[in-house]
This record gives sequence, C-alpha cells and structure tokens, in this order.
Amino acid sequence: MANVYEGLTDYPAFHRAEVNYKIRTEYLEHLQEQRASHKLLKEWTFTPSLPEKGYTNRTLYINVGTLEIQEKEVTQQMKDIFTGGRGFGMWYLWNAVTPKTKWNDPENEIIITPGPVSGITQYPGSGKSLVVSLSPQTEIPIDSNVGGYFGPLLKFSGFDCLEIQGKSDRELIVFIDGQKGILRVEDAPAEPVDSHVLAEILTHMYAESEEDRVNISVVSAGSAADHSLIGMLNFSWFDKRRGCIRLKQAGRGGIGTVFRDKKIKALVIRGREVKGDLNHPVDFETIAKTGIKLHKELRENDPSMCLMRRNGTAHIVEIMDAYDLLPTHNFQYGGHPEVHKIASYVWDQRCTQRTTDGCWYGCSMACAKGADGVVLQTGPYKGHMVTVDGPEYENAAGLGSNAGIFEPEPLLELNFYCDTYGICTITWGTIAAFVMECYQRGILNKERTGGLDLTWGNWRDDLEMMHQCARGEGFGLIAGQGVKKMKEMFIEKGWGDPQLIEDIGMENKGLEYSQYLSKESLAQQGGYALTNKGPQHDEAWLIFMDMVNKQLPTFEDKAEALYYFPLWRTWFGLQGWCKLPWNDVAPRNNHLTAEPAKIPEHVQNYLDIAGAMVGKKYTSEDMLLQSARVYNFQRIFNIRMGKGLRIHDKAPYRSQGPVTKEEYESRQERYEKELREQVGIDPSTLTLEEKIAATRKFRTDRYSKLVDTVYTRRGWTLDGVPTQARLKELGLDVFPEVMEISKTHGG
Amino acid sequence: MKQLRIDMSKCDAGRNCNHECEEACAIKVFKLKDREHAALHIRELADGSGQAILCDQCGDCVVVCPADALKRNKMGAVILDKELCVGCYTCIGFCEKNAFERNPDWVIPFKCISCGICVKACPHAALEVVEVPTPDYRII
Amino acid sequence: MIQVNGDPLEWTDGMTVRDVLTAKRFTFPMLVITVNDHVVERRAYDTTSIPDGANVKVVHLMSGG
Repeated sequence: MANVYEGLTDYPAFHRAEVNYKIRTEYLEHLQEQRASHKLLKEWTFTPSLPEKGYTNRTLYINVGTLEIQEKEVTQQMKDIFTGGRGFGMWYLWNAVTPKTKWNDPENEIIITPGPVSGITQYPGSGKSLVVSLSPQTEIPIDSNVGGYFGPLLKFSGFDCLEIQGKSDRELIVFIDGQKGILRVEDAPAEPVDSHVLAEILTHMYAESEEDRVNISVVSAGSAADHSLIGMLNFSWFDKRRGCIRLKQAGRGGIGTVFRDKKIKALVIRGREVKGDLNHPVDFETIAKTGIKLHKELRENDPSMCLMRRNGTAHIVEIMDAYDLLPTHNFQYGGHPEVHKIASYVWDQRCTQRTTDGCWYGCSMACAKGADGVVLQTGPYKGHMVTVDGPEYENAAGLGSNAGIFEPEPLLELNFYCDTYGICTITWGTIAAFVMECYQRGILNKERTGGLDLTWGNWRDDLEMMHQCARGEGFGLIAGQGVKKMKEMFIEKGWGDPQLIEDIGMENKGLEYSQYLSKESLAQQGGYALTNKGPQHDEAWLIFMDMVNKQLPTFEDKAEALYYFPLWRTWFGLQGWCKLPWNDVAPRNNHLTAEPAKIPEHVQNYLDIAGAMVGKKYTSEDMLLQSARVYNFQRIFNIRMGKGLRIHDKAPYRSQGPVTKEEYESRQERYEKELREQVGIDPSTLTLEEKIAATRKFRTDRYSKLVDTVYTRRGWTLDGVPTQARLKELGLDVFPEVMEISKTHGG
Repeated sequence: MKQLRIDMSKCDAGRNCNHECEEACAIKVFKLKDREHAALHIRELADGSGQAILCDQCGDCVVVCPADALKRNKMGAVILDKELCVGCYTCIGFCEKNAFERNPDWVIPFKCISCGICVKACPHAALEVVEVPTPDYRII
Repeated sequence: MIQVNGDPLEWTDGMTVRDVLTAKRFTFPMLVITVNDHVVERRAYDTTSIPDGANVKVVHLMSGG
C-alpha cells in the first residue's frame, strides 16, 4: 500500500501565535442545498420550561427507530437515590437494557444528563453533562463527562435528561428548538459527518440570526467512529470572538460508535438566551458570592500555580517528565530528553491568548485553549486552515510522548483529526503506543501493518493509520478495534509471545489506560483498575499522594484513599461540575489547613453551592452518600451485565512493574532497593531474569493484597460484590433485582 | 478614551461632604436606593486618609467576558450590553481595582461608564473626566 | 542528613528550601512545605535555611482531572 506521506519534508516550524484567530477555512458553501435536502420525518411539540431549584423534573425520550417521542417525569425517588447526572443516566440505562443486551442492539441507549447545578454561570466549571451508554469496548456501562453548551441548553429548554434509544435505518438529525418548543427528526443525507465541518454547518443552519449562533449546540461524532469501537461524541459551542465552533468531548468508552451505529448524524439544540439565574436556585446570593470568590482566586493565583488560563491542562507535561511519570513509549518510561519540544511553554506561545476559553459561560479557569491558523498537512482536509481545540495534557502525553512523537505541529494535527473523526485522543494515544511497541518488538512488521512503518515518533504513519480508520480500510481498521481486541488477535495469529502481548497491552476491562504512569504507585494501580468503567483517572489520581508525599504508607491508607476519592470525584458528575477548578487552583492559605490535599475550602464551596441550589445544607457525609449510591449501583450493574467481579479488575503487568529488561534497567536502583528492603532478597545473587521475576511476584502479590483491602473498605466481598448489608445501608434495597444480584454472587 | 480621575488632595473622603459623587451615581445613573452600590467608592481609611475606587476603563473585563458583552463605546469607555450579559461575574472577579459592581437585587452587574455626573456633583471639584490614550488589551 | 518526605537527602551548610526542591526536581507549583512541622510560605523558599537533621515535608497537592 503506498504511503502518501513519502517525500514530505519538514513540518513548518510553529510560530508565535499572533495569528488572526478569526480566519480559517469555511464550509458553508452548500448550506442551502443541505438544508433543502432534509426531509421531516416527525415533528413533536412541547412546552419549554425552566428549572426550579436546579431540576426541570422532566426528561425527554426519543426512539430513533420507531420515532416514538415522549416526556417522562423525574420522580422523587430518582432525585433521592440518583441525584442527577451520571445517576440518572445509570438508572435509565438499567431500565432500558437486559443482561443480554449488546451495545449495538436497539435497546442500548445514549443518555445525556447535566445535573442540578449545571448551567449556573457564576462558578467556574458548572456546565458539564454526563453521557451514559453500554460501551462497545467494555460491554458494561460507560460514563463519560463532557463540557460544551448542549447540556445546559437542554436543561433550559425544559429537560433534565435526554434518553435516546433504538436504531435508525437512515441518517438522522434530531433538532430540539427550546425557544419554540418544537422537536424535529429529520432525514439528513447530505452533510458530511466529520465534526469540525458538521457542527459549523448545523450551527449556521439552525440559528435564526448571527446572534442566535451562541444558542446552538451540536452533538456529533465523525467518520472514524463509523469504523471503530473507539468513537466519541463532540459537544459544540459557538466561540463569538473567533467566529467558529469549538468542541469538547465525551471521550471514553466508544459512545460515538453507539451514536453512529444508531445512524444519528447529529443532535442539535437551539436553546433560549442564557442568563445567570435560569436554574432558579433557592439561594442565588450564596452562588454569586462563591463564584466571585473563585474568579478572584483564579485571577490572583492561577499565574503562579497551574497556569490553566494560559496553557490549559498541558501545564503538567514537563512536570510529569520531572517526576518520571510522563508515559513514554507505551508506558515503558517516565520521561524523554525531547519533552521540552511539547512542553507547556510551547503551547503558551502557540495557543491564542488574548481571549477567554471556557467551555461554559463563567468558567474563568478557561482551559479550553485553541491553536489557530493550523494548516493541515495530511488527510482529506490537507491544506485547510483550522482551529485546533487543545492540546490538553492527555494529548501531549498520549498522542505525543507515549508514541515517541515530540513535534508540536504534528501533535496538533493528530489532535485535530481525532476530534473531527470522532475518536478519543486518550484511547488513540494508548493504541498507537501499543502498536508501535509491537512493531519495535517484531510482533508487528510492515507486512502485518500493510506497509505502515510504526517506528516510535513516526507521526506520518500514525496519522495515516487514523485516516485508514476513517476510510474504513487497512490496518487502521484493526487499530480502531482497540488494544483488547488487538491483543486477542495478535495472540491468536501467533505473532508474538502471548504473555508479553498481554503484559504490554495497556487496557483493563477493555478500555485503554489514560496517560499517567501507575507503575511505581500501588495506590494508582488500584486507582485505575478498581474503577467501575475502566482505567480512566477521573475516579482517583493518587500518584503524588502515594509516591511523592508518601501519605499512603499502609494498605489501609491506600484503601481509604481508594474509598474516598472515587466517591468525591463521582459527585461532580452527579451535580454537573468539572473537577478541574477543584484542585488546579487553591486558596493562598490552603497549606495551613488540616488536609490541604483535599482543598477543604473548595470542597466547602461545592457543598455550599449544591445546597444553595436545592435549599439544603450539605455536609461531606451527604456528598459521600449521594455518590456511594450511584457508585455501588453501577458496580451491581456491571455484575448484571456479566462482568464487575474481581477477575475483571485485573491489570496488565506493565501498569504494575517492569515487563522487559530495558524497563528494569532504566530503574534498576529503585527495583533493587525494593528487592533488598521489602522482599528480603539480595539482588546481587540473582540474574536479571530472576530479578525481574522476583519483582513481578512481589508486585502482583502486593496488588492482590491491595484489592482485598479496598474491597473490604468499600463494603464489597473479596470477589468485588457489594454486600447486601452495604446496599441496604445505602437505601438500594428498594430495588429487589439489585439485592438479588448481590445475593447470587455471594454478597 | 474618557477616563474618570480624582485628585485626592481635593477629596477629603466624606469628612466635609456627603459623598455627593456616590449619591449622584447611584441614584441618578443607576436608579439605586443606596450609595453603597454606586459605580465608584470613596472611603475614609483608619489613618484619616481617603481611598478612591474608580474604574479606569483599562479593558481587562473586555478580555475575560465569556459572552463578549463588554465593549468600548465611541468615547472609549467600557460599556456592558445587558442583553448579552450572562451574569457570570467574571468581570467583577477579574477587575484588579475592584471597580466592577454588583447589586444583590440584580443579576446583571454594572460599572462606571465615564459619564461625568459624579464630576458635577462633587463640591470640591476633586473629580474630572480626562481624555487619555486607549490601552491595548492585556493577556490576563 | 535531612529527611524529605521520609527519604534521606544529603545536607549542605546553608541549604535552603529552594535547594531541596531543585535537588529533588520538585517542580510542581502547588506545594505545602513544612520544616520540622513549621509551614514555610512560598515567598520564603529562597531564604529559609534548613538545619541539619531536619524533617522536611513537601506535600504536593493533586492535579489531573
């Protein structure tokens, strides 16, 4: 197969971003014909309404196969047990599917839920929604959080939640007009599916004036989501200053694949004008004061803390490298001498600065930085000038150092194509890293990759692999199946040592690991593998607490952290919040508090605002209880779907220790100290193979002990099943099926 | 651009006046009951000196507004478009001079627009509106 | 010899908090530092010297959403 990038010379060196951020390629020349090609399949009217105390108390159900549309009531039980956000999503999905449902059955749903707090404008990070579905990768529920304007605009149109079920036989656009109270399902054959084009077209198509564009949000995927299991959903908003659409992602787990499998081209919402009090909170004053307090804190402290407003989350690239935690070459190493080429000061220069980049109104952490004036060098949009959303830390680490790529402009292009093609950048990063290591070790070669040269750092062939996936052909199609299926395939074909392939394929439960090195942090190994959905760090990020601060010396300490933090972090997704303003900035006197790692003043801010919304006084105990209900319900749901047990929480050895000789030797001093002090063996008496084996035994035994301790702390059996006693404590005994599942699995 | 300025040698922070500047601003311009919520503040400090909190039309709030609701008018003063405002108060939080204002009865905040009514009201002629070069927008 | 988060570090005369951060490559910007249980403010990192035998804790706050 010819390599179209043969002969391309130097990438243009990046330039100081005094680019005119209003200029880019436009895609509106066929707008009239595209609009005319739509055929109305169904129209449904509703009465728009606004929330009271954070809830509209109505949800919207659409079946894209039968075209059944109905409103449902939010019950008191739903609020009491599930709160909102991820909780509502899990509840609706539980009722929609049976234990036999597969991700591509019509019964599977995509459920988009903001949360009671979502849509306030005063506190940074208050526009998030949770998206829930059965994942094509893990075959259990996935929950994915996302910004953009869709969730809040849905809420301000009248609905706490959008439930989509069924499968269409033709490309559909669902348009919800929250100003007029009209929902239209349209047969829409003409528009391309790639998000950067589609979201722009639809924003202009459905807005009734230029000013109205900010009231439109589009949910879409892209052409790679059509041909892979790793599709994600883009949620757009209209950037007034730039004059273009921007995208945030519900990235993990393949929900974009479900979306495209249902033949949905896009969901479009046209919301009413946003104002500061549309949630009708009980106590607006507390929300306003707390929001102003955090804006001031960000103004004063962000420049000397994480620089989120300048660099987004990419500020930690060089920090992770300094701590030997930046995943490099498929999580083998923790840093690289060329990291400076993709470090935060690069993005400070490259991203446009004199604007404000929040993904919902009022987020002054504003980390959704954009690089303007990027001219694409490859693929179907070669030569187009675009704005790239990012790069975030995950992209620089995953698409960059994990694959050995240290060039900023190719990194932007990889980021861009993942976004427009509708695939998750974290997932693609770990996939590319895996196939490159397989190529390095002869498990893959040019014959097996169809001509792709997957040497570390070869961004051209990495991009070509992605373009193949988008076209539905070649090795790209295999890569798009994900690490788990590739491991099975490579082992079955006898392409390499099965144990090695198992060890280096960084997935757990079928989902790829996100971009942090857990290898030396036992707590983070649990933080990744003892999750509900799979190894996404949103449940727990414990590496510093564990390895650097040494604050978790015993198994009990680690288990306590793995009990508390997943619950605290789950809570954001019940309420509609982004986690980043919690810990990427801190008050000046935080270091004087009793538990500075929890940022206690911020925890209190969140409890205050959530309480002010509904008229209650929330404590940390209330928060833990709200989260624990959803968390344990989700664990039972996993078991209901045939997984969710201890065996499914096992982790690839690369996530726990050195697999290969080079890995061992790169940290020899550390491993030998461990053998001496913790295992009681003198390493000088052993061969290299024996040392690696002894380290492996020590670490896998240690992981097993951690699992025991964590399960016990969580109120689960040693097989990972929430006990009936625990479920009763949480009030989940109102669901007989939940209790039955616990009982039959020894809970 | 038109910028409000004060000569603190002429202003005695209320010792020999009735805060006519704040009164005029609050009541005449913004139709507020209470001079506490005027778009400028003159305070007497513990050591007897005065402190004036004035908007100098620097434009920082223009950069941070997520709704692009703050713009300079023909006279260069920064004006808030109430229709576009989403009530997020990023402007208040990012004003280094604490000059962007909020009245708890309103969702929309407000600010000084260099209209000069306070200038006329001051019995000591301590305030004036002057023409100064318009600064560039900062990266903040 | 001093202890930094429980690990030994060679002590030098006149060693400041900043020197410890440099030696350990602790570049993370959100830190809480105590020397023998006394909190050291950020502006004093360059000027606070560390006595021999001190117990230094450099607590990193969390990051990563």
